[in-house]
Amino acid sequence: MTMSGELLQLAEIIIYPGIIFIFLVSFLYEWIDRKFYARLQNRYGPLYTGPSGILQPFADFIKLLAKEDIEPEAVDRGVFRTTPILILFIPLLGTLLIPISGLSAVVHFEGDLIFLVFLLTLIAISIFLAGWSSTNRFSTIGGVRAALQMISYEIPLTLVLISPAILAGSLSITGIVLWQSARYPLIIFQPIGFVVAVICFLAELERVPFDIPEADTEIVAGWMTEFSGRKLALLRLSRDVETVLAAALLSAVFLGGPAGPGPPELALFWFFLKMTAVALIFTNMRALFARLRIDQMMNTFWKYILPLSLAQVFLSELISLFLI
Amino acid sequence: MSKGTSFEIPIGPQHPALKEPESFTFVVDGENVVDVKPRIGYNHRGIEKALEARTYLQNLYLIERVCGICSHAHVFCYSQNVEEAAGIEAPPRAKYIRTIVAELERIHSHLLWVGIAAHEIGFDTLFMYAWRDREVVMDLLELISGNRVNYAMNTIGGVRRDIQSDVAEEVRKGLQKLEERAKYYTGICTSERTILRRAVGVGILKPADALTLSAVGPTLRASGIGRDIRRDDPYGAYDEIPFNVITHDGCDVASRVIVRLGETLEAIGIVRYALEHLPEGEIKVRAPRTVASNESVSRVEAPRGELIHYIRSNDTDKPERYKIRSPTLGNILSVCKMLVGGYVADIPIVLAAIDPCFSCTDRMAFVDIEGEREWHMTGEELRRYGIKWYEAKG
Repeated sequence: MTMSGELLQLAEIIIYPGIIFIFLVSFLYEWIDRKFYARLQNRYGPLYTGPSGILQPFADFIKLLAKEDIEPEAVDRGVFRTTPILILFIPLLGTLLIPISGLSAVVHFEGDLIFLVFLLTLIAISIFLAGWSSTNRFSTIGGVRAALQMISYEIPLTLVLISPAILAGSLSITGIVLWQSARYPLIIFQPIGFVVAVICFLAELERVPFDIPEADTEIVAGWMTEFSGRKLALLRLSRDVETVLAAALLSAVFLGGPAGPGPPELALFWFFLKMTAVALIFTNMRALFARLRIDQMMNTFWKYILPLSLAQVFLSELISLFLI
Repeated sequence: MSKGTSFEIPIGPQHPALKEPESFTFVVDGENVVDVKPRIGYNHRGIEKALEARTYLQNLYLIERVCGICSHAHVFCYSQNVEEAAGIEAPPRAKYIRTIVAELERIHSHLLWVGIAAHEIGFDTLFMYAWRDREVVMDLLELISGNRVNYAMNTIGGVRRDIQSDVAEEVRKGLQKLEERAKYYTGICTSERTILRRAVGVGILKPADALTLSAVGPTLRASGIGRDIRRDDPYGAYDEIPFNVITHDGCDVASRVIVRLGETLEAIGIVRYALEHLPEGEIKVRAPRTVASNESVSRVEAPRGELIHYIRSNDTDKPERYKIRSPTLGNILSVCKMLVGGYVADIPIVLAAIDPCFSCTDRMAFVDIEGEREWHMTGEELRRYGIKWYEAKG
């Protein structure tokens, strides 16, 4: 009995809704992102691999795995080899904390929201290390930009993730989702928070208008310049996993995640509906803007986004004192 | 990495922001550009020498391939130049047709540039839209000339193909659509906030500097100086067609965008007028095979600025010397001026703002800076020199 229970738990972590499931979802969302982005720009997007090119991200991944892995002489070998793995597995760990297939996550404990925020910071630090260890001029600039960007978005992001926790009275993502499933999605009290969180995640995911650390026309591929072959494949997969993590976190914390009308079997459906909506918002933003400069980005975050997130926390406090 | 806190980053000869090989070494301090060292000459193709080995007619095909974007401007300039040296003049209808193609080419070049500029600041949606609409003018050019890139419309003494009235009707229809889109892009580029934040006050070139550093074309006009060969030294049919020289005194990237989009709208007006007033008559005159000893200089306002061709003939069917000065060469010094004091993030858009076409620019001459001596080498001499140099180096 205990044996099969443990096996089941292991299967949850490795297969569903754990690692392998998340990888598949990541590829799916990369396809959705590319296809939607292309349609917004009046292009076709991926077309030939699988129906409507749905297998294209997977094919790209396999192709990169098979490519030559070049390691320049001057790199700091240890860090250079570890960072791609770190950057892939930290967001993967994060997704395990988010309830996807049911109302509770694979791993959950009181305070896992704080742990997740910590993981997001770790990703940014690993990115900086990856750029720094490459010892390439473009990578160094990219890495420094990634660090600068992190300084700007981290505080507002943490604040707006805390304010749902204030209302739900729980620092666990599962707790917040359970609270919402009993009542209503928190976005009705958190519209500013949701917008700020979307903007912060655009910066975290290095997407237009905040794709500053990997601005291809300026600094080649930024902190990723020296990575090739398997390492680049892992890094690209990690971008997708991060996108899924961001979309999943936003839909869990603000939109109620798997909670929705109908029987509990529909949890996965509701979750995907909400997550796709968030992912499409990300893609839409990507098609709308030009890239900002790093100084303009920092300016925007410290001058406008941070006060907005503080206002949201203040509002949440008021609401939790008087309304709920 | 060099002294102190500043270090050098190479942009080029191969770099995603540059579509052609050219090298700029930037000395940067953090995100600030302290100094720029341009190094041109990566794409020397020996075109001027090759021109001396071919007949005037064969040269038409070679000249057409100096540049892939302003191919008509070059061949326009060349035919005009040879006609002048040979003492003949193209018939009025030919001049009008040349002007029409030149202006359609300007529309295509400027729309292409809007797309590239948008891509350089990470606005890929505008890039895709601009290039989609550029297809309209490409189709018109194909309709007129049968070709999309190297139109092969010109010959010495006139043009090779006529514009029939049904084609003219199609062109008018296409222009309608282009005008709409050009106005739409003008609206976007002057109101979209992220574009403005990346373009206003970036890459400043003061009018005085623009003149000293001999900037040309839209780069010069965006510094508020209204110089345009089409008006100042009319050629083709420009002396008969009314049009405005667009200038803007913002001196920055944003005003270069405004000038180019304004010129696109002007070009649409010019093509409309030219189609309306297309004179009847022959489209070419017979040109002699050989050209008597003569010298001539011809200037054309290419989409990128003033293009200068020089010819010296010597009673044979081949030119003795041919010299091309493409507009990008005139703008390289000013782009270095614009970049100093800016941010690393602004390098691509400032570079792109002169609409560089480096491959057309590169020529080769050996200059002894101290002795003021200039000479040329044959390929064989250069090879021997190279071997000796490397032997001496060890």
